This record gives sequence, structure tokens and C-alpha cells, in this order.
Amino acid sequence: MKILSGKWSFYINGTLIALFIMLSLYLFDDTLGMSDGMLAVSEFVRDSTEAGEIKAPPTLNWQLGLLGGILIGALASAIISGSWKIQFAPKDSGGIVAGIWKPIVQGVGGGFLVMLGLQIAGDSFWGQWSAAIQLSSGAWIFIISMFIVASAASILLDRHHEKGKGGE
Amino acid sequence: MEPLALTGNLRIAIAIIAGIGLGVLLEKSDLIWRKTTLDALRLKDGRLLTTFLFSIFVGVMLFQLLLQQGLVNIQVRPAAFWPSLIGGIICGIGLIICAKVPISAIASFAAGRIHALWVIIGMILAYSAVNAVSGFLSDTLYTWSKPIPYHEQAGDYFSFENPALWLSIISLVLVLFIQFTIGRGDND
Repeated sequence: MKILSGKWSFYINGTLIALFIMLSLYLFDDTLGMSDGMLAVSEFVRDSTEAGEIKAPPTLNWQLGLLGGILIGALASAIISGSWKIQFAPKDSGGIVAGIWKPIVQGVGGGFLVMLGLQIAGDSFWGQWSAAIQLSSGAWIFIISMFIVASAASILLDRHHEKGKGGE
Repeated sequence: MEPLALTGNLRIAIAIIAGIGLGVLLEKSDLIWRKTTLDALRLKDGRLLTTFLFSIFVGVMLFQLLLQQGLVNIQVRPAAFWPSLIGGIICGIGLIICAKVPISAIASFAAGRIHALWVIIGMILAYSAVNAVSGFLSDTLYTWSKPIPYHEQAGDYFSFENPALWLSIISLVLVLFIQFTIGRGDND
């Protein structure tokens, strides 16, 4: 079935995302988000590290359930569509040595900054998306500033990279 | 009418089902791939942008309709100008480095991209870091500006004074513009 194995158009994806957000507001009276789930995992890791032993895992709440559901859904969808493959480093990581350290530095550093920014702004990424739909000015300030900075820096870095290639 | 606001085990069960649906949707929409995200930021691939803008186009009007019917409540966390701006800038810098947000990192890891685990570890570390400096942030960043008041929309649904209508129209125009100007790339 092509609907399961193929990619979906942006208007289907956009509509479904909007429906998901509305459905979560109706069913949970809250936005779909994983911040509390990730916070519980973070506290579990911290407590286990401090104690030097594996402590009791966090109690299953709805946000941890959502997190687990995303893992199952993305895994199933990737297998069905044929895009599932084990990859230890992104394709643009370079050679073997760079392929080891670059994903670690990029991943930990980038992930740290993304979550730091979200924590400072006071909501998860999905929460900001949902708040933007609810016409929250704060969410729009966050999304626009994030996109302008990320896009401008990406374009400048890309041009610099292309220039470097041309000079070789 | 009012939101269903599920509780207990039913809430957890529905959250797991919603998560499965969301995981499928994230994979189908290519939002979880590093290359799609970076190409979208470089304005070389419009899929991520059109998906976001189309969700705004549909969502904003749908939300207004459901809000008027009393089926949903406004669920917006308090926001202030400087934390939102600085948070957005820091998040943007992080995004060009790792090309992932929390939800896409989880889905990307499930799709076999083991390197997304480093992103998740970085995110977990950030929680502890924010906890450690929360007092400092409360004394500085959060005192620079007052919380932005949230204006509940009122008036007619299709009135030109309704900002939701304007935002929907702008989003749709941008979708069409991006669709006809920016190409479509490949994923990982």
C-alpha cells in the first residue's frame, strides 16, 4: 500500500499535525509534549548517577507514554517505508575518525543548546508549535527568532563551504 | 461543551496511541531527517516549511472554531519577550549544529539513526544545567521584561479584525510562495 510505504504531501502532514494538536487539547486538555517525560528521564539518570546504582525507573505517566508511542510509531513507519537503517554517524561527518567524534560533539552540543533554548523560553518545541496556533505572541517570537538565526547561519556556512570548495 | 480531559490509565493508553500516530506522521513528513532540516534552513527544501505553515493555516482557524464551541481551552504557558527571544536564538544555534528538536531526535533514533542518541543525551544534560542556574535566570533574564499578555480572540469568526484569519491567509500565501520557489530535496 502506497499510503504506508510512500511519503505524504505537506498538506496532509500539515492538516494531520493541526488535528493532532487540536485532539490533544480536547482529549488531554493540554498540549502534546515530552518535556515532563524527558524531565522524569533526566531526574532518573541524575539520581542513578549520584547513587552509583540504577534507581527505580520513573512512573509511567501520559507524557512518558507519548514518548514510548513515538518510538514505536517512528520505528514501524521507518521499517514499512524502507527508510530504517542503522547509522552511527550522519552522512556529512567525514572520515572514520571524524565520524566518531563529530556526531558526539555535534549531538551533545547541539542537543544541549536546543533544550537550553526551549527551557529558557519555557515550553517544549511541540508546545511552542501548539502555542503559535493559539496565537501566543511569545511562541511567535521564539519561532521567528529561532528560524532567522538558524537559517541565516546555515546559509552563511553553506556559502562559506561552497566558496572553500571552489577555491580548491 | 468542554474538553474531555481524560485521566488515569485511559489518558496513558490514549497518549501511547497518539504517540504511535505522531511517530508515523513525523517519519512520513520527513521532519526527522537531518538533511531535510538542514536543507529547509538553507532554503533549499520547502517540505518542512510548508508543513509547518500549512499546519498553522489549518490549525489557527480550527482552534478558533473549537474555542468558540467550548471544546478546547487555551493552553499557553506564560511567556516574556526576552526569554522567548534569547531562547529562540540559542535554540536556533543548537538546531544548525544537531538539526534536531526533542521530538524529532526520539523519532530519528527509532528510525535507526543511532547518532540521535547523542542529541538526546545533550538534551537530558540541559535539564540539569537549567536546574543549576535557575536562580540566576530568575534574577536576571526573567526580570528584564514583563510577561506578554495573552489576548483572547473575540468577535466574528470571518471578521477582518480577527487576527486568526489574517495569520491563516498569510500562512497560505507563504505556502504557495515556497511551493513555487523552493525545490524539494531528498532525505537521508
